[in-house]
Amino acid sequence: MSHLQFFHFGLMPYPHIPPGEEIESTWVTLSNSHYDPVEGHRLYNEYLDQSVLAEKLGYDGTCVNEHHQNAYGTMPDPNVMASHIIARTRKIRVGIIGNALPLHGNPLRVAESVAMLDVVSGGRVISGFVRGTGMEYHSTRFNPAFSRERFWEAHDLIIKAWTQPGPFEWRGKHYDIPYVNPWPVPYQKPHPPIWLPGQGSMETIGEAARRRYPFMMVFAPIAFTKLNYDMYRRAAEEAGYEPRPEQLAFCVGTYVAETDEKAHAEAKDHIMWLFHNGLKIPDYHWFPPGYVTGRSLRGMLMGKAKFNMKPHTELTYQELLDEQYVIVGSPQTVAEKLAIYTEELGAGIHVGAGMQVGDMPHWKVVKNMTLFAEEVMPHFRPPGNQPAWERGEPVPGAVQPDAVPA
Amino acid sequence: MSETASVADVPAQTIDVAGTPVALRRRGEGRPLLFLHGAGFTGRWLRFHEALAAGADVIAPEHPGFGATADQEWLEGFDDLVLHYDDVRGALGLDAPFDLVGYSLGGWIAAAYAVVYPERLRSLTLVVPAGLEPPVADPFAMLPEQLVATMFNDLANVGEVMVDPEDLDVAVHLYEEASTLARLVWNPRYDRKLERRLRRAACPALVVGAEHDRFAGDEQAERYAALLPAAHLERVPGTGHALVIEQPERTARVILDFIGGLA
Repeated sequence: MSHLQFFHFGLMPYPHIPPGEEIESTWVTLSNSHYDPVEGHRLYNEYLDQSVLAEKLGYDGTCVNEHHQNAYGTMPDPNVMASHIIARTRKIRVGIIGNALPLHGNPLRVAESVAMLDVVSGGRVISGFVRGTGMEYHSTRFNPAFSRERFWEAHDLIIKAWTQPGPFEWRGKHYDIPYVNPWPVPYQKPHPPIWLPGQGSMETIGEAARRRYPFMMVFAPIAFTKLNYDMYRRAAEEAGYEPRPEQLAFCVGTYVAETDEKAHAEAKDHIMWLFHNGLKIPDYHWFPPGYVTGRSLRGMLMGKAKFNMKPHTELTYQELLDEQYVIVGSPQTVAEKLAIYTEELGAGIHVGAGMQVGDMPHWKVVKNMTLFAEEVMPHFRPPGNQPAWERGEPVPGAVQPDAVPA
Repeated sequence: MSETASVADVPAQTIDVAGTPVALRRRGEGRPLLFLHGAGFTGRWLRFHEALAAGADVIAPEHPGFGATADQEWLEGFDDLVLHYDDVRGALGLDAPFDLVGYSLGGWIAAAYAVVYPERLRSLTLVVPAGLEPPVADPFAMLPEQLVATMFNDLANVGEVMVDPEDLDVAVHLYEEASTLARLVWNPRYDRKLERRLRRAACPALVVGAEHDRFAGDEQAERYAALLPAAHLERVPGTGHALVIEQPERTARVILDFIGGLA
């Protein structure tokens, strides 16, 4: 079977909220009076224990991300959580997937925080960059119509700050900084690997492919993921190279138990919380005007029609399984479904392996993570079932010598 | 649709404005009246336009990024639109003071123009203008049917402006218009400096309010009327924020009576 790297990913949800059908959205307008910090204390520490456990179980990496003002994922500052995980681990790679660049007034703060984490960890950081969801443009009132411009300008500024000696002056449309001169600079050279998680906007996929950044599809049906990978491959071809499997990632939650029946019985309710409650989001929150181009919107609407894609909240458990939004079953079943991603789609990174979802209790998460590591991972690894960081393999997205365009 | 709903179409013509192609419709005789549209109801000659054209030479350009005028890279804020509309004025040869009318978003643009170029105007008419305060309803956080329900108090004429949001081209065009709108008004959603600046627009002015505006808020029209040095407020009975569709002839009559009554 083909090779696959496995990244643990916890969203850190706050599950104690009213049912999806009773609220407008789990984001933006759901009152934070539902949040009990004593319960939050318990949850955060369980979630962080799970991230630390990923190293003991031999996962290739563990991931955190940035979301604001919602119950789906209570991680407004992913760098805080990454710092905690780094302090309690020695070797595992820590993916911040990612910092939402346009939602920050000064992107140098992101350059500084990620560089600090990279230096403290001795080069274990993967630096994902995202634009933030549409919902976060409602919450913050950063202008979604300038989101793409701000993202790429912030990206260019951060990469330059990490790779060119300072001080230098940055004169851009959105950022104007007289002395760019961050201390520290990153441990990894020329800079930490950059990943670009996305929802399928053509512009993001094209830019990711041109820059050889791993691109990740999040919570999408497998047919739509394939379409977006094909788009990535075409853009790579135009840039004169063939992408490696480590450039194509998919975020698909998995749950594995002794048998298929047991796995479904243990996982179903929690998975339904994620899709029917955690992802209860009206379209106007998802896609504020200007967040994507008209051209991208046309592509997405055509894709939705072609694959009959429903809103997350309307998907049944069976549809989530059939379209591989999630993978649930015995180790054999889960390995077979993952093999479709490696064999048919050519993907090389699985994010969300053994992930906690919804109101899944700690014991199930530990059991799921353990079984996944011991019974599923060996199907996709060289004999010995060692993680990439023990085998001495480069981090996916690490800048390779052949990355310079011919 | 009622009999009165059928209006002869006026096709858009394109004029060059400082290198920017601008789509505009024009009909009627008399003094030139420049009409600035709101964030919707673009791409057509409305009953409201037709009713205005009974008493004026109505010139109705479409803002960059709306209707058939392409979006422009240079458009980032209201200051760009103020200069753009002075270029439009120049391109149209409106050298003598003219009558400026703006609806909703167009009212905000007209007010922003009037405080910069007060000497260009013979009169200023703001129809349920935005711009002094944020809208009481968040236009970017509504389903299309909620938006209609908030803007209209009288749904009798709504069919005249209904489009099919299931049509891919329509959906993309509406999203693109909303994207231009977002660039202008996402943040901030009003101009806090406008309140003090309105004293500069000293020409005769009319503010046309709805009977009950659940979109822009009823107080906004009153604030405009109070802050403009020579303005009075008239409300059109039975209407909401979409009064130019709900009561097109009556709204136009209020405006024409005002303009016609000037010395």
